[in-house]
Amino acid sequence: MPELRKDPIIGRWVIISTERAKRPKDFKTRIKEPPERDCPFCEGKEDCTPPEIFAIRDNNSEKNKPGWKVRVVPSIAPLLRIEGDLDPRGRGLYDILNGVGAHEVIIETPQHIYNIADLEPEQIFLILTAYKERLVDLENDPRLRYVLIYKNYGYLAGAGKIKHARSNLIASPIIPKRVKEELVGARRYFEYHDRCIFCDMIRQESEQKKRLVYENEGFFCFCPFASRFPFEVWVLPKNHSCDFQKCNEEELKLCAQAIKEVFLRLKISLNDPPYNFVLHTAPYRRKRPGYWRTILHDYHWHIEITPRLTRVAGFEWGTGFYICPTPPEEAAKVLREIENA
Amino acid sequence: MPELRKDPIVGRWVIVNTENPRTPRDYEIIPHEWKGEKDCPFCYGNEYMTPPEIEAIRDENSAPNTPGWKVRVVPNKFPALRIEGDLDKRPEGMYDMCNGIGAHEVIIDTPYHYKDICELTSEEIFLVLSVYKSRMVDLKNDKRFKFILLFKNVGELAGASLEHPHSQLIALPMIPKNVKEELDGSKHFFHYHERCIFCDIINQERSESERVLFENQDFISFCPFFGRFPFEVWILPKKHMAEFQNVCESQLRALAEILKATLLRLKKVLSSPDYNYIIHTAPFDYEFCESYHWHIEIMPKLIRPAGFEWGSGFYIVPTPPELAAKILKNE
Repeated sequence: MPELRKDPIIGRWVIISTERAKRPKDFKTRIKEPPERDCPFCEGKEDCTPPEIFAIRDNNSEKNKPGWKVRVVPSIAPLLRIEGDLDPRGRGLYDILNGVGAHEVIIETPQHIYNIADLEPEQIFLILTAYKERLVDLENDPRLRYVLIYKNYGYLAGAGKIKHARSNLIASPIIPKRVKEELVGARRYFEYHDRCIFCDMIRQESEQKKRLVYENEGFFCFCPFASRFPFEVWVLPKNHSCDFQKCNEEELKLCAQAIKEVFLRLKISLNDPPYNFVLHTAPYRRKRPGYWRTILHDYHWHIEITPRLTRVAGFEWGTGFYICPTPPEEAAKVLREIENA
Repeated sequence: MPELRKDPIVGRWVIVNTENPRTPRDYEIIPHEWKGEKDCPFCYGNEYMTPPEIEAIRDENSAPNTPGWKVRVVPNKFPALRIEGDLDKRPEGMYDMCNGIGAHEVIIDTPYHYKDICELTSEEIFLVLSVYKSRMVDLKNDKRFKFILLFKNVGELAGASLEHPHSQLIALPMIPKNVKEELDGSKHFFHYHERCIFCDIINQERSESERVLFENQDFISFCPFFGRFPFEVWILPKKHMAEFQNVCESQLRALAEILKATLLRLKKVLSSPDYNYIIHTAPFDYEFCESYHWHIEIMPKLIRPAGFEWGSGFYIVPTPPELAAKILKNE
């Protein structure tokens, strides 16, 4: 019997197919991709990008020159503009703002490597450090309320034609809808239970173990009970914290290790699938004093990784109702049991 | 300057690229191609390949599960949900779950393998829509179901696995998330304004007119101001009405016409893109019918979904709806 399961945070129902469950080999992840373009992100090509905003570099190296390890540059085709005012206005029923914000690219390695799974944990640690620095820096811009950091890997996941590992950052003057639902859902749970819903999830998942993928002393990685996508994995810090940027060095190192493990396991078991990676962290707390009164207690930053194995049908887009062909328990078992990942 | 626009119903913001808007030729559209399928289970003569039919519009002297039909409804051979059994709602620790009870049916739009719905005659489309209606009326009798999702996937990118034109229906024991948000958003608006937000949207779209594509006596189609996808089109009944299954025959005929005209424009201008449409209708026995308004959302598949749209619910629209409407009208 298929199961309907409810995401306890935002209340989304998903269908989990329990019979005819799809195994890793049932998914076709290889497609003919368009030819690769010349890479502007490799070391030595620094003049192919707009001037860098931030970089982790060797002490004696110059800006916009080789010698960097992680480099952040503005997007060449920004979705939002850094200059200008929001100018909120209405038009009849409708509300409009100017598209003010930041759109940056975090180049994750000077070498032409595409999958984060192929980077060393030390390098992933530097990438996470760059995330943190950007989150801290952008908080100084009072127009911005939320920073979304995400990664598209592979053509089917929406990535472009350049196969060089990078993340995108969009700093926006509004809180995106899905994030807001999560914030509101977590707050509601806290109001009733006086506990963080994510901490409760970690507690239940570490007792049940059946959806556990990997854990180290700082991080817990599991396939969520109401997964939308087959082999979806969430990475949560075991210590309660709502802001990613509050992580210390030790935590970032453990996070890097956990991410490496998850990506490597996905790569091995699903034959290098396309995926998306989204960092969910608390918004900047501005204006409306009191609005985020309990956020320190009720929200818990985390990372959501979704391999793109199924073509998502139209009704899933339109209704927010998903059919997940692999039960998360089976997906977790596959990912957990990979030896010496 | 790009614009951020807010969906007044559910409160979703989208980024609209008003500066360097993309036109149809800027999209990498793979035109829908008919491949032809040997032993297509939806073609005439192959009725035995599907589970037995639930309903069909047929010639008077034809027998069920034989040729002679115009529209045919069969259970999905690989149903996402099962029709038999109890819901058995239960917890697993902090989580909630129930059995996957529901109906999953396929509506075979036409015996013609190579005709997309927009290439059928208005009369034939009317028959398809009449079947949509009668399935909803019938399934409403099953008290386990709260909501019916009626949708169409055309082409591989849109998630279709068979190319023979068909629609699908899923009857659910609960209300899907986005539908619930729409219901809640419009209820909220109604409480404050005592008006239906969709009726207000129709009024504003008509008075601004730049996003309107077609209008007939009963329906209007337009590219919504706050659409999530490029060339997204909505079709709404002009008269307030919460439930699709309450449409009368003359309205269904008017709907067939506007649906055909709208889909044909999309097909022509975007060189036969893969697409989806979904009927949004009120759940069964909905208490707040004055606040909700059924409609059809049409989404051509022009862009690959990027990860952050899934993760954040924040959409980027490369073609502003005003431009999309203009192109659709003038081509």
